Amino acid sequence: MPTVSVTVARDVTEAIKVPRALFLPWPMGHHFGAPFHRDLQRRVVLGALGLLETGDEPGTILDLPVKWAEVRREAKTLSEQGRKL
Amino acid sequence: MTAADKSTLSAADPREAGTQLRPGLWQTINERYPGSMIRKESFVPQARLTKPLATSRLTLVSSCGVHLKTDKPLDVCHPFGDFRFMRVPSWAKHDELIIHQLKYPHDDADLDINVIFPIERLQELCHEGRLGGLTSNFFSFIGYNMDPEKFERTVAAEIAEAVVGEERADCALLAPA
Repeated sequence: MPTVSVTVARDVTEAIKVPRALFLPWPMGHHFGAPFHRDLQRRVVLGALGLLETGDEPGTILDLPVKWAEVRREAKTLSEQGRKL
Repeated sequence: MTAADKSTLSAADPREAGTQLRPGLWQTINERYPGSMIRKESFVPQARLTKPLATSRLTLVSSCGVHLKTDKPLDVCHPFGDFRFMRVPSWAKHDELIIHQLKYPHDDADLDINVIFPIERLQELCHEGRLGGLTSNFFSFIGYNMDPEKFERTVAAEIAEAVVGEERADCALLAPA
């Protein structure tokens, strides 16, 4: 079955050798971003699904280069807006 | 090597089943190129989509330990872990779900489950037609297990069987918490 993993632990994913994975340089427990940040969550999901369609090289690990500092900043703004987007 | 030997070898190597590699490839390499730097351990199995995502049924599997609030939670205190898994209805909303897991920070996921288990984002993509459908249930378990072999025999095998047999998924999104 075709699978795609979303990971925040690149070293573990490299050791396990999954078929294809999307790597986010973010803390544990935050694979899809920040609370109420619907756009970012959607971007991660679509990134993973895109890799599922195009990732034909076994063991591919694709980076989504979004810094956690940016995510936190955007999340704080969302929080101040009443946690709505 | 006889043809019968080759078929036995290929059948005995599950990593070649259903892949793009021809059966017996690794034996051929080892026979023809002894000392080759290519090792069997380097092989990463990969299956490819057989139809577009817009007509595919997707499932979600995560070790985040999420389940319906109405379900009895898994045992998060057992020193060896809980070798069971939970079915999470794919139509569930954030307010109906709860996380029982001690081994990763889930404060933000408690505020919005989609941070670790993007169930509502997948529902939206399905509604928009980007995905052909979602399986009736998604799957969740506790990632803390101290016996990997038992985990493979129980949780991993049972989820794989449910995903393929009961849910008839075409592809899977995996989120190891």
